[in-house]
This record gives sequence, C-alpha cells and structure tokens, in this order.
Amino acid sequence: MNQTERRRVIEQEVIKCSRCGTCRSICPVFLAENNENTTARSKNRMMEAVLEGDVELTPGVQERFEKCLLCKACKAHCGSGVATDKLIMEGRAAAVAHNGLSPAKKMAFTGLRYRKLFDLGLRTGALFQNLIFKKLPDGRGCVPRILLPGAGLNQRRIMPNMTTNPLRSRLPKFIKAKTPVSKGRVLFFTGCMLNYMYPEPGEAVVSILTRNGWDVVIPEEQCCCGTPAFTSGDVETGRFLAEQNIKAISAEKHDHIVTACASCGAALKHEYKHILDNSSLLSTWQEISTKVLDISQFVLKYCDLSKLGKLPFKVTYHDPCHLVRGMNVSSEPREILKSIPGLKFVEMKDANRCCGAGGSFSAVYYELSRKINDKKLDNVEDTGMDYLVTGCSSCRMHITDGLTQRNSSVKVLHTAEVINMAYDAASRKEGKAC
Amino acid sequence: MLKPDVIKELSAVVGADHVMTANEDMIIYSNDATMFNAKPEAIVQPGSRDEVVEIVKIADRHHLPVTCRGAGTCLSGGPIPLKGGIVLEMTRMNRILKVDPVNKVAVVEPGVIAFALTTAANKVGLLYPPDPSSLKESTLGGNVSECAGGPKGVKYGITRNFVLGVEAVLSDGSIVKTGNEVDGDMAGPDWTMLFTGSEGTLGVIISITLRLVPIPAVKKTMMAIYDRLEDAAKTVSVTMASGIIPTTLEIMDNLSIVSVENYLKIGLPVKAGGLLLIEVDGVESTVEEDAKRVSEICKKCGASEVKMAKTPAEAEELWLARRSINPAFGQVAPCKFAEDATVPRSLVPVLVEKVLEIQKKYDVPIFICGHAGDGNMHPTIMFDKRNKEQKERAEKALHEVHIVTLELGGTLSGEHGIGFAKAPYLRAETGLAGYKLGQEIKKAVDPTGILNPGKMFFYEGELH
Repeated sequence: MNQTERRRVIEQEVIKCSRCGTCRSICPVFLAENNENTTARSKNRMMEAVLEGDVELTPGVQERFEKCLLCKACKAHCGSGVATDKLIMEGRAAAVAHNGLSPAKKMAFTGLRYRKLFDLGLRTGALFQNLIFKKLPDGRGCVPRILLPGAGLNQRRIMPNMTTNPLRSRLPKFIKAKTPVSKGRVLFFTGCMLNYMYPEPGEAVVSILTRNGWDVVIPEEQCCCGTPAFTSGDVETGRFLAEQNIKAISAEKHDHIVTACASCGAALKHEYKHILDNSSLLSTWQEISTKVLDISQFVLKYCDLSKLGKLPFKVTYHDPCHLVRGMNVSSEPREILKSIPGLKFVEMKDANRCCGAGGSFSAVYYELSRKINDKKLDNVEDTGMDYLVTGCSSCRMHITDGLTQRNSSVKVLHTAEVINMAYDAASRKEGKAC
Repeated sequence: MLKPDVIKELSAVVGADHVMTANEDMIIYSNDATMFNAKPEAIVQPGSRDEVVEIVKIADRHHLPVTCRGAGTCLSGGPIPLKGGIVLEMTRMNRILKVDPVNKVAVVEPGVIAFALTTAANKVGLLYPPDPSSLKESTLGGNVSECAGGPKGVKYGITRNFVLGVEAVLSDGSIVKTGNEVDGDMAGPDWTMLFTGSEGTLGVIISITLRLVPIPAVKKTMMAIYDRLEDAAKTVSVTMASGIIPTTLEIMDNLSIVSVENYLKIGLPVKAGGLLLIEVDGVESTVEEDAKRVSEICKKCGASEVKMAKTPAEAEELWLARRSINPAFGQVAPCKFAEDATVPRSLVPVLVEKVLEIQKKYDVPIFICGHAGDGNMHPTIMFDKRNKEQKERAEKALHEVHIVTLELGGTLSGEHGIGFAKAPYLRAETGLAGYKLGQEIKKAVDPTGILNPGKMFFYEGELH
C-alpha cells in the first residue's frame, strides 16, 4: 500500500465510528480513569482530527494513542465493528515517524533486532539481575533496588526472576516423540517470555507434545515475535522481526506450529498481515498462519485427554486478551481444565476483561495498570480458588505482581503446566501400579 | 481560550486534575453521538454539589457558557458547547444516595449510569423501567435532561414518568429543589416536569429522586413475522386498541432484518417485509392470556408466523435481533441520522407508509424500526458524509420525516431530545405562542443565558 491508499483505509475505518459511546462501558482504561480521552471513540475522533488537519501529531495526541492496552475489547463490543486497535497502531506508527520513539524503547527495539546480542544481553542481565533487583525471600520474584522509570520499573513492582538458563538452551533443537510411532512434527515457537522468564511452561509444552506422540522442533533462528515493537509504532523493527521469524519457521519441516504465548500466537496468526504489507514474504506467512495453534487448541484437537490424571486443584481461568480476542481461544482451555479428574473449576466474574498488563503499557502507566489489575485480582479472590490458570506470561507476570503485593495465597500457573501435571499424575499412578 | 486567571479560579475549586484546557481535550469534548461538533474552552469535572455551585458562580461572574455533559451519548447535540465556555462533565458525581424499597424511590447523583440504578433496584426486588439502548453508558442526569425512553416505554412510560423531584443549581449559583419523595406531590405546578427534558438550559441537575416499581412476576416474549411491513404496523394499533398493554412492541423492517442477519447469521426471515418483537409481563395468569390474544391479533393482521419463546434463553435469542440493529447500521453506510419521530400509536401505519415513500423519493436507505408500541419510531437515514450529493439527499429526506411527523400530530422527539439537531423544527411543533413562552421561561430562570446557550428555543439558525 502506498501512503494515499493507506490513508484511505484509515479514513474508511475512522468514519465507521458513530461516536455512540458503547466503548465507555467496556474499555478497562476508561473504567479506571473515567476520562473521555481514553475511550475508543475519542481515539477515533483524535485520528479524524489529525487526518483533517485540525491538530498536528503533537505529544498530546501521541499520549492519547499510547494510553491503550490494545485489549481489543472495544472492537469486540463495537456495533459498527470499528477496528480501533488497528487505528491506534496506525496512530502510534505515525506519531513515532513524526516524533520518534522514546530513547528507552529505541534502545530496547534495536536490541531486539540483533538476536544473538539480545540473547547475550538477557543472559548477562540474568546474571547481574541481583545488582538491580533484590529477590523476595519466598522465591516468588524480585523487586527493583533502584527506581528505573525509563525501563518501566517501579519500586512496588515485583518481576519474576530472570533465568540464567533460558528455555531454548535447556532443550535441543529436535526432540523425539516419546511414543514408538511419531504422529508428525510440531514446530514450537517459544517467544521471549517463555524463553527468558518462565521456561517451565515451555518445558511443559514440549513434554505434552512428545508424550502425545509428536516430534518437536525448536528453530534456533526464531526471535522476538515483534509485538512489543509494532504495537509501539516501530513498524520497521516489527517487520524485520516478522520476516526473520517467517524465514526461521519456513526453514524447518513441520505439520503444525504451536505457541504458548497469547501475543506470539496472535502475531503469527493474524497481526503479521498488517506489518508485512508489501513484503515478499507475505504469501509464505499466509501459509504459516494457517498452521498456528495455541497449545490449548492443539491439546484439544490432537492430544489424548483420557490420559489426564487426577489433580486435586481448585482453579479459575483468566482469558488473556490476545487469546480470547486475538486468537479467538476461550472455550478450549476451559474444556481441558474441566476434563481433568478431581479438578474443581469456578468461573470468575469478567474473566475476559484485560488484566491491565498490556505489554509496555504497564511499564509506562504502572499505577493505572495496577488499578485495572486490582479489579481482576478481586474477581480472582472472590472465586475462593487456589490457582489462577492463564495462557499468557505477560498476564501472569502482572497478576503475580499484584497477588504478591497483597499477600494473596492464590498462585498462578500456565495452562500448559496444569495439563502436564495432570499427565504426570496419571503416569505416576501407572508407575505405582507397576 | 479562557484567561489564565479564570483557569486558576476553576482549578482552585475542583483541583487542577479536573480542569482540562489542552487543544486535544477540546477536540474530544466537542462531540456527542451526533455528527455535530463545537469546541469548549475548558472542561471541568466537579466532584460535589458545592463544587458545582462554585463553578457556576465563577461562570456567571465571567459570563461564560456552561454546558452539562454526562456520558456524551446524546443523539441531539445536547452536550455540544455551541458557544464555547465550560463543559461541566458530571460523571464524577456518581453516587446512588438512596434506594428505599418501602417508599419505592431512589435518590441519585446525576452521574450515576442508568444501568447501575437498574442493578441496585433489582437487588431489592424493584424495577427502574426506562431502558434506552445506551443503558450501560448513559447517565441518569442525561436521561432526565433529554427525557430518555426505551422499549419498555409502551407499558411503563419514559423517564419523565419516573422523575419525582430534582435539585438543580441555577445560573446565579442558588439551589432549587423541586418535587419530593412523595409520589403525588401537587403543591403548586409540576416544576419537576419543567426541568425534565430541559436539556441543561435551566439549571445544573445535582440530584434526582426517581420512582421505582415492583418487578413483574413473569414475562412472555414473542416474534411475529409479516410479508408486508404495513401489516406489522397495523398490528400495533389493533393491539393497543384491544386493551392489552404489552411491555414492549418493537418493529423491524426488511432492511433491519437483512442487515442483522448478514451480521449475526441467526436464521432471521430475510424475505419478511417486517417483524414485531412483543413482550407482555405481569402475573402469570394474565400474561398467558395476553400472550395468546396478542398472537391471535398478529395472525389476524396478516402475520405469517408467530414464534413464542418457551425459555428465557429463547426470549434472549428473539431480543438479540432487535438489539443488533444498531450494530448492523454500519453495513449499509457509515453515517446516519438516527431519528425518534413519534406519532400517536394509531398512526404508526401511516407514518410507516410515508417513510417508505420518502425512502423511494430520495433514494437513500432508511431503516424503519423502533418502539412502535408507543408510536416512538426510529427511521434511521443512512449515508456517507464524504459523498456530498448523497448527504444532501439524506438531509432532504430527514427534513421530510420531520414535517410528516408534525403533520401527523406527532412530536420531533420521542426520547432523544431537541438540542441543536432538531431545534430548527421546534417552533413548528410548539406554535409561535408556545415557542415564545419557552423563551420567556428560559429568560426568567436563566436571565444571563449562560446555561447551554443556542439550543432549543434559542436556536440561531433558520426556523421551519
């Protein structure tokens, strides 16, 4: 698309907004702030004003585009189906082109481009994290020793311990199925959070796949999915990363692609379409996108649920935005959880409302994202369950932070971890019987 | 732009966080749910009645226009600050002060969302019936000011039938209290009614006393399908004449049916000329009997099929079609004139015929739907504002809809208000004497004219 075409597409979307205000009852940011500026219709209005030349791409306009979780709730609820999320990304991209990225983001995204350097940086970061963070005595994470607002660190904020041994270093590139006959090969796209922050659910994914008869390949050349970059308006870095991943994925033979990160999955399945505009790899991506499944979808479709063992857990489930609205995944994890013998599942209120993390949103607007998260935590605790299960590490990090700060006894687990524990329970029982 | 001194004064009252003056804010607050816009000079968010009084006094001293705003879901331009000045955003004042199950009244601040009151009333076994489609977003202050309606209006009436009293800040900063919690207060004229539907032109409402009613024991929902829209319209007047008062009597034309079906794929009869969504409520024995009789009337008037919901889930399915008309508008064209032309219910069939003629004459898509049971129709004219010629045709069609409505002895506004959008036609409805009286009343209550200027009786454009 050239600039004129792009503008026409944006105009076409903006004009669909009737300004009815339905977004007021659904936008988590609006509900926390009670300010018209944060509603979807106002962001569309801002875009219209920019297009009509009523206002420049001022820092004020940029801030209005920034203050959005990209949770897609407005789009899902909008009568006219206005894709406000896409408009906001367009707005951010235009503002970045006009005003530039913030220095912290610029540095971070440049780092993302150099896969090996990024990897080294995060590993080194993990080694030296104790200089910046202090570990909590209960092992639930760490808090910053000093305030680094540029890096989105708030002294209240509790981050997970970064691993010194990332997921992709723990596992070989090829892992054979544990069954005598292989059903096929699954390509596991790990993403950064599972690789550096939460490797255990990543290991659980591999274990689920191999015990169900699937060979696994984890391409070494995969890198960040690009979501943090293109949602921040750095389309160029976003495209660079997307292309790198498409090359890495298409280089390996596979029957399915599995993700265990809501944002990676949504990016690979849908979001790349918008950033790969004019790219020679567009058709390759289209082929790839049809094979992408979240781990919960894959388990429901291709794994044996009858082999899930007894798990005496009391759980509730939180819908990550990028799973429920990004990949249309919401019934699958519930169905799996409910099929685990002995597991008690209670639905929480507003399970599909955003937890407030929103990637870099929680770094820039920490207190606001905490306020949004507090509602989620209240709903979690109201269920009286012991575990919150979810399929997104970013949600997990933000929710865990909140739970720790309020000394809650509720623990957070990835859907894949619960599934794998249930398989473990069954094989332990079998083992005993033998 | 306001002088820095004035901004300082405003900030001293509500705090700097609740005064907005950036150009970007002015653009955002220049709109409601209509296509019109005008920028304010400042947005002030008062948190208490005392703050409202102080802000109004400052505005009075500097002779600044004050335009109240709730959720900004207005469909007639009510919260658009035509003359600049201050937009008073009332949403921080959102406390339900009282729900009294014995006397069946509620007292609320103006920023309470209508749905919050509905929920609070339900908890004590009561019902607050007005149910505009913006129920979950719009504020009660706005509902009272614009006199909002909704599908339940057929049986229960619209907002004005539930307002027992208001407290309002007048333009000099004094507080007037009208009505009280006694349902049947007649000490003098109905001053409360004067404020209901006054669209913020007489005072800033700071508290509202509302009547609640018992929740009906049971309800029955049905859908009648017609080959001809005219037959559906005829059913409305025949039903009302039969003595049965349904809770809801909603009409949908073929365009509405097809658009919703395209959007939702729920198996609606796309070949039907029109359909009615009918609900009756009350005690079990009467409801069964009423539902049976209504169903017979539908068939007698030409309905090819009447579907009766057997479970609440089935009722919800039938409702889905009606609720989804608004979402489906966007499929036909991006812009719309969402009207609320209301005629005596016996004339609904005539209005439908006339609107069909207008649609043909100007060749613009018009959704014909609405709360037919109380004559409150929503002919919604669709167009693309970027297409000048089409927009002109839409405007001409809109003009004729207004004229036809008035000719049928109807009203310009069944529930959306007059504001700015329908002000050019107000004199045609009230007559010259009525229009003058409207002006005189406004002048007497707001002598300096700072409250929502340029609206209703003070429209400055050409009058029809």
